[in-house]
Formats: sequence, C-alpha cells, structure tokens
Amino acid sequence: MKKVFRNLTICLLIVACLFSLAGCGGSQNQPQSAPQKVVIYTNADKEAVEAMEASLKAAGYEGKYVLQTMGTSELGGKMMAEGDKIEANLITMSSYFIDSAQKKYNMFADLTMEAKPLMQHPAFYAPILANTGAIFVNTQVIKEKNLPMPQSVKDLTKDEYKGLVSIPNIMNSSTAWLLVQSIISQYGENEGKAILHKLLENCGPHVEKSGSGPIKKVRAGEVAAGFGLRHQAVADKAAAKPIDFIDPLEGNYSLTEAVAVVKKQDAATTKLAMEMANVIVTKARADLIKFYPVALYQGETVSDANKPGNPKIFAKPLTVELLEEHQNFFKAAQ
Amino acid sequence: MLELRNVCKKFDNKIVLDNMNLEIRNGEIVSMLGPSGSGKSTLLNIILGLIPMDSGQLLFEGQDISRVSMKDRGFNIVFQDYALFPNLNAYGNIAYGLKNQTRGFSKAELEELIDFLELRPHLSKRIDQLSGGQKQRVALARTLATKPKILLLDEPLSALDGVIKETIKTRIKAIAARYNLTTIIVTHDPEEALTMSNRVLIIDQGHISQYGTPAQVIHTPANPFVEQFILKQLEIKRDNIYHLFQKCHA
Amino acid sequence: MRKNSRVTQLLLLGILLFFGSFLIVPLLVLSAGSWQSGWQTGLAQYGAVLSDKNIMLAIRNSLKISAAAALLTTGLAFGLAYTVHCTNIPGKLKKAIHLGIILPMLLPTITYGFAIIYSFGKQGLLTKLFGYELLSIYGFNGLLTGYVIYTLPPAFLLINNAFSYVDKKFIIVSQLMGDSFWRSFVNTVLRPLLGTIGSAFVLAFILCFTDFGIPASLGGTYNVIATELYQVMLGTIPDFQTGSVIALLMLVPAVFAVLFLNHLEKFNFHYEGFRSTALPVNKLRDRVCGILSLALVGVVAAVFAVMFVAPAVKNYPYDMSFTLQFIEKALASRMLLEVYENSLLVALASAAAGTILSYSAAVVNVRTGFSKQTKASLDLLAMIANTVPGMVLGLAYLLSFNGSSLKGTFTLIICCNIIHFFTTPYLMAKNSLAKLNPAWETTGELMGDTWAQTMVRVIIPNSLATIVEMFSYYFINAMVTISAIIFLVTAKTAVVTSKIKELQHFASFNEIFVLSILILMTNVAVKLLSDFWYQKLATR
Repeated sequence: MKKVFRNLTICLLIVACLFSLAGCGGSQNQPQSAPQKVVIYTNADKEAVEAMEASLKAAGYEGKYVLQTMGTSELGGKMMAEGDKIEANLITMSSYFIDSAQKKYNMFADLTMEAKPLMQHPAFYAPILANTGAIFVNTQVIKEKNLPMPQSVKDLTKDEYKGLVSIPNIMNSSTAWLLVQSIISQYGENEGKAILHKLLENCGPHVEKSGSGPIKKVRAGEVAAGFGLRHQAVADKAAAKPIDFIDPLEGNYSLTEAVAVVKKQDAATTKLAMEMANVIVTKARADLIKFYPVALYQGETVSDANKPGNPKIFAKPLTVELLEEHQNFFKAAQ
Repeated sequence: MLELRNVCKKFDNKIVLDNMNLEIRNGEIVSMLGPSGSGKSTLLNIILGLIPMDSGQLLFEGQDISRVSMKDRGFNIVFQDYALFPNLNAYGNIAYGLKNQTRGFSKAELEELIDFLELRPHLSKRIDQLSGGQKQRVALARTLATKPKILLLDEPLSALDGVIKETIKTRIKAIAARYNLTTIIVTHDPEEALTMSNRVLIIDQGHISQYGTPAQVIHTPANPFVEQFILKQLEIKRDNIYHLFQKCHA
Repeated sequence: MRKNSRVTQLLLLGILLFFGSFLIVPLLVLSAGSWQSGWQTGLAQYGAVLSDKNIMLAIRNSLKISAAAALLTTGLAFGLAYTVHCTNIPGKLKKAIHLGIILPMLLPTITYGFAIIYSFGKQGLLTKLFGYELLSIYGFNGLLTGYVIYTLPPAFLLINNAFSYVDKKFIIVSQLMGDSFWRSFVNTVLRPLLGTIGSAFVLAFILCFTDFGIPASLGGTYNVIATELYQVMLGTIPDFQTGSVIALLMLVPAVFAVLFLNHLEKFNFHYEGFRSTALPVNKLRDRVCGILSLALVGVVAAVFAVMFVAPAVKNYPYDMSFTLQFIEKALASRMLLEVYENSLLVALASAAAGTILSYSAAVVNVRTGFSKQTKASLDLLAMIANTVPGMVLGLAYLLSFNGSSLKGTFTLIICCNIIHFFTTPYLMAKNSLAKLNPAWETTGELMGDTWAQTMVRVIIPNSLATIVEMFSYYFINAMVTISAIIFLVTAKTAVVTSKIKELQHFASFNEIFVLSILILMTNVAVKLLSDFWYQKLATR
C-alpha cells in the first residue's frame, strides 16, 4: 500500500511538472518586462491584411506579431464569448462589433491617435477602412450565356439568372448585410422579403459563407453575377480579369472596419500593440484607401473613378442587435 | 545439495504438484521425465524461481531459498527455443550477462568456453544464420558464462535433428563434468532421460512415480505407470532396432 | 504470474494518468457541459437540439451521405484489392495501383475539397479536358466524391490485407470442380471476405460521418453535422451547451460502429499456412479489372494534379502560362513558413510522445504480469480513444482546458493528437511485441538485467521496425489532421491545416495548394524514409 502511494505521488509530481512546463510556453497572464509577440485577430480581407502587414514590416515589426484572420462572425463570436480573455492583443473588426463587445466587457483600451478623423468615433477604436458593396459580373460568362447586364439587385432575381448568381450568407458574413440593408431601404420589409426570396432561389447552392465567396465564384466562372465588396471587383478589372462591377440602383452601402487594443495585464505587450495600432492607422491608410476608396481621415482624397456611384447610409445606427434582426429577416426569406 | 520439501502448486484449483519431496546432489545430472501436463515444467519453473509455490520449502546447501528471487538464486536455464536475442550476434549473446555480473566468467574463461563449445568460427554470425545445434551451443555458452549454481535445461534436444542429438548429449555430459555442475533436464523422451542422467525423476500427474538411477528404473520399475508408459516405449524401440539389425545380417 | 517491477508499475500509472487527464476527464466535462444549466433545462436542451430543423436535417444528411459514400468506397476498394490479388496483370501495375490509391492519405482532407472545385468545377481541369461538367460539385455529389477519395485508402488497405490471408488455391480447386466464374468468385473470394467487407463499410461510414475538412472546403448547400457543430461553436453566437449536445449526438453512431467492428472481428476467418500459388488464366478478367482499376487511380491522381497546376500558372484557368512567381511568393512568406514549422513541431512531438505512450501501453499489456483486468482496461481505453471523433475530442478539450494554463499551447494540441491517433500504433505495437519470444525478459533477468535494461537491450531493439512504423503513422496523421485540432489552434499555434481553413476566406488557392504540396512532400519524404528503414530493419 505504501509503495502504491509513493508511486502515485511520483506520478502526480511528474504530471504537475509537465503542466507547469506547458504553462510556461503559453503564459500570457504574468506581467513580464519583455513584450511577447503581439497577437492580431482580424476579419479583414486579403488586400487589407497585406496593406497592414506591409506597414508593420516597414516600421520594423516583422516577427514581433502573429496575425490570424477569421470570418466576421467567427471573430465576433469569439469576442462576445471570451471578452478580455481573448488571445488577441490587437483586433481589427467591424466597428459595430467592437462597440457591442466594449459595452459588454469594457475590454478595449483607449487609443491615442495622431490622425484626425472626418467623423466622430469612440476613443477605444480607430477606423482603418470602409467596405462598400456592389454587384459584379464575369463578362465572359455574360457573353457566353447571352445575359443582359444587371443594373440592380432586383435584376438578379430574373429567371435567366437562375443558378448563375452568388451572394454571401448574412449568418456568416457581414458583407451580406450590405445587400440586406440596400434591399430593406429600397423596398421595405415586405416587398424586400419577396425579392430576397427570389434572389436566394436564383443563387441555389451559391450562397457563400465567406464575403469573398461570390467574387471567387464569379472569377472562376461558376456563376455570372454576384454581390460582394466593390474593391475586389475593381481590382480584378484593373488586373484585366473578365470582371466588371456595377453600382446597383438600390445603392452602395458601407461598413466601417476599425482597430482596437485589448486591455491586458501584460503592459509591455499592450504598449507594443498600441504602437502597432498607430502604425496601421497612419502608415497603412495610404495603401488601404486604394482598395477601399472611402476617405476616413482629414487630408485624404479619392479619385472620382473609384468613388462608388450611389453611396447611401442606412437610416438606423448599426448594432449587433440590428444585425440579428436582419439575420432573422434573411432566414425568413429562405 | 538442492532439497524440495512438501512442495505444492495449484493452477485455478487444479493440483499440478502434490506434496513433492526430492533431493538433488551436487554435480549430479537429473532428468525430469513425464508426459505433457505431468507437472515437470512447473517444477522446473519453481526451482528456477520463475513462479512461486503455494506451500512447501526449497533448500539449497541447507539454506531456505523459497522466498529468494529468481535473480538472487543464481540458477540459470536454457529454454527449449533458446530465447536468443536476434538483435545481437552470437558473441553478443554469449557475452550478454558479463556486463552485469562480477561473479560470471572472466575474459579468459569465456574464451576457453568458446573454444570448448567450438563456437569460434560462428561468433560474428547473426542468430538466423546459425544452425539448430549452433544455436543450442550459443545458448548454453550464454547461460554458462553467468556461472550458474544449477543449470536447468528445458527439453534441450527436442528442437534438434536426429544426428546432432547424440553429440549434444555427449556435450552436456562433458559440461556437467568439466564444471562439476548440477544439471536438471526436463524431457518427455525416456531414451534421452535414461541415457543422459545419473538419476531420473519420473513424474505422473503431480506425483513422483519413481526417483532413481537408470538401472533402478529399468530393473525395478516402481509401478505400472513406469512399466507401461516409460519402459514399454523403450522396449518397442529396442526391439525394432534389434530386428532391423538381425534382418540385415541375415 | 511474473512479479511486476517498480518501473512497470510507474509506467502503468503514468499511462492511466495520461488517459485520465486527456481522455476520460474531458469526455466527462463534455457530457457535463450538455447539462450545465441544470437537469430540467439540460433535458430541454436535448429536446431543442433534437427538434431543431437545421440540426436534424444535418444529421440526416450526414447519415445519408456517409452511407452512400461508404457503400461506393467499399465496392471500389474491393474491386481494387481483387485486381491486385486475383488477376495476372503485371506486378508493376499492381504496385502502381497500390501506391496511387493510398497517396491521398498523405494530404489533409481540407485540400480534397479545393482540389475537387478546381478539377470538377465549371472551370476545372477535368471539366476543361472533357468539355463539360462531369458532376455538380456543390452539394451531395461533391461531398460524395471527396468522401470516397478520403475513405478509399483505408478501406482498400483493410480489404487488401484480408485478401492476403485468403488461400487462392481454393480458386483453382473450385474451377477444377467445374464451378462457373461467378460461383467460384462467390465461394472462394467473396464469402471469406464478407466480415472484412463489412468492416470496411463501417470504417468508411464513420470516417465520413466525422470528417470536417471535406465539407468545410466544399461548403455548398448540403449541411452535415460536422460543419453544423463548427457553426454552433464558432458562429456569431457561440453556444457551448448546444455544441456539447451535438458532439454527444455525433458520438452515438461512432460508438455503435466500434462495437459493430469488434463484433465483426470474430467473423473473420483466416486460412493458415499456405503457399502462394499461380492463378488460373483469364484474360478477360485481367483486362476488365486492370483497366477499371487504373482508370480509378487515374481519376484520383487527376483530381490532385490540379494542386500542382493551379499555383504554377499565371491566372488559372484563363492564362495557363507557366510561372513560379506564386510559389516563390508563398515560400518567401514568413507567415506560411511559420505555420509549416509549427506543423512540423506538432507532428514530430506528437509522433515522438505518441509512439512512446502507445509502445509503453503495449509493453504493459503484452510483456508484463499485470492482471487480466488491468490489461483489459488498457484495451478499453484504446477502444474509447478510437471511438471518439476528432471534433468531439477537440471540443471536449476546449471545454476542459479553457481555464487552464494549457489553453492555446502546443502541448494541448499534441496531447489531443496523441489520444486521437493512439489506437492504431498501439495495436501495431501489441501485435509485434506478442510475436517476440516470451522468455526474453526471464533470460535477461537471469543474466543480471533489470527489467528496464532488458527493455533497452533486447525488446526495443527487436521491435525497432514497428517503432519506425508507429512513428511514421503518428507523424503523417498529425500532419494532415484538422478535425481534432480545429477548436484548439490559436494565432500563435496555427498549423498548416488550420491555416488552409483560414486562407479559404480569401480564396487564396495558390497559398492553399502550396501549403498542401508542402504537407504532401513532407509526408512522402517521411513515408519513404520510414518504409526504407522498416524494410532494412525487418529483413535484418
């Protein structure tokens, strides 16, 4: 019996050692003098991520951070579930989500920014870009199938587009919200629901989880037309791909993406994250505005060709609650 | 001298050894003979220390060794299938135990043993390159090198071809004589038992049927079992060979 | 029988503690998690999940498509094994079929979906070759294709192995008795293999049912339970309780499958002690089987060919001129190299620690004198580890270790891999150790060794070939897994497969394929190396 106890103790000691060893590898709670790698969570698209990384690299931060991209819903879910226990030090995310998470957890630190924004925003985030929605088409497929050029979202509900349209799913992607906002604003809830229903029917299997799913499908020629982010189509067209974009009659709606720093006990790393946030806002903007041609800070200009043809703003303020309301609207239209 | 007193062993309520009493003198070759299931292997394993007995006593040179572990008894065994280590060559096997023991063979003694067993040309061979007889000798050498106080051999001839059996028999006798080694052999073959050993222990269903010299067994079989199952076999064999030779000469 | 040394007792205790902490406790936490809001509401939660239209549809879909895929896979795998064993096509062709069909095992399932999109899609490589779409990939057909490619290798290996125990002399006897081809086929080939064919079906079914990579990459409208679980756990509103309920529902068919497999095991019979024999000549049989098998291997190879083509051309599929710029760019990216290093680290550590654990468990089981109950409990643990789907295990870890210092560490991912892939290496080791001479430990002890010394000097050297095999199994599986780790990876511990999932958001196919090629190359290298070493050790 004695032996068994002794063996048991030895084993427990070994296990305890293993655990504490493992703990050392991932310790983020203990305050440390040297900053750890800054963990960046972002819902941003490829172009934005590249612009941000380029600015961080130029400022000498290469190797001092790890960056993880996620879908908006995934990152939003993580923020709402984990609060300041989230792994990230720095987050770039849709502003309405940052608002809601701050309200729930008070998890973001106030930023001190040099740049002067055009519009007022809370101190715990700084806008980095705005996304604008638009329709785009694969000109080659349009020609092959002899389809008329669509001018509005409503055009895409016509029968000849059956199986040839792709849109994102609002359950997973905030890009789809831009579409839903335009439909509700233009047609109201009742007519809007019928239009969305017809649109979803036309999409069939091409309702995408990712906001860039539709442009991917259009690029690959899987479908003729899609709804998604305007800048992606602009870039494709500029790269001589068989892509063209259309500002729909219903309007180009926008969502603001912002950067925020999570409050953590590890002061050194938080400070480093602050510096990086500043670099992203001041240095990355020059690149970002090329892809997302919306002026956010004083002194920024956008070329006329890049300005959306029909910019609009949703009547109510954007919140997570409104998103959920619109998600239900979307579900009901299925 | 090795002494067994009232040794009993059961497996799952089946009596395998029933109150065994036995003495084996130093330097003697003793064969344990019996059909399979008679309990002879169990007895061998108890002497070796591999399995404990249920009751009784085991004495060696007057000391009770019943509770002494297998390792500390200082006996050793050559298994029926030799249990040679295939990751080592013949020499690696022979010298295996020397790293651990102070009481084992010296370098010179080992060299002498290798020559005595005529293993010199085979030392660097892999185990699977050795013949049956060579394997047997390597296993013997490996065991002898640890200077066992008693040498146990489990069916030493069963895996060998006919011709080589006779040379191995002679060799085992020579080893026992050379090192004055108490040797216990387990076998099911009466011919082997009676031709190799000083004394033969005949076991039947956990009981000692007879324990005596080969001459005693042949001339005064103790009971019908010895007569029927042990001697009968030998007589048939003898007669067959006798007739064969007579026919040829005729 | 034999007395157990201190070392073996410690070893057993260590193994049991590891399983306790990383299998039993997480599973208990998971099942507790589904009841976390009390008995009444917990029950209501089960009711809510079972009456949720979407979840039930996903479960029905999963059952349906897994059964269809398993049926198809089993048929194809049998055909391939038949071609390899019962026809007179040239040996080189047989080898090519064997190699070609197991190649997908070296790739993560999440790659399959992307390869399928780029092969069978409207602008896919195969679509271009044939001039029209062979099948509509979004939904049932695409998933089915992916699942079949995924489960074909293990099903084939299973049936192939059983075939080598079938005495082909009976085929000759049957023909000499005047049986027709079909009667001979049924009596001498099909019937002896029925148990194995059943096992292959169940195995394929459960692999499909629990796989996450293929539905995650193909998406589409056909929802299955794996993606539903991911959605619930990492969607807009994470719901741990519903997640736990779904995970437990996912466990149910897996439990039945494993019980069924164990049952079938008893029906397998082996002919023993026969020599290989020449097969009767039948040109028609050889041609038909040979051509069909090669065609199947060709299709699988073609699906994955796109993986090499897409990143090596300027603008797939519009501008097919060759360029290395994407590959160079991807390989120059610090981010991709970092996750590749992470993957290597995780795979190496999982393989090393996993091999040690499973080998130790096998040693305790086969080569010590512990009681039957102790040994049976080790087998039971192995069976449980085999039963729990990767996603369920990952979710259990997420719930169990979220508050601990293990959260977000490589250690946790490695532990998950060790448990998840434990069973096969454990059985390999058991099998091999049981064949070693049972008297070696006694001999070693009589020569003055301690138990541990005999292990190091004799037992381990004599099972090195198996250890190499175990290591490579662990390594390759740790390299390609996604379902077990998708809930555990973080930004700092991202591995290649989770990065591929992440890159999906950008539709960055070039990077996805380059990463997949990296995994493939690494696994091919490890496989070749270990096979070479195995051959060398085994023939020693």
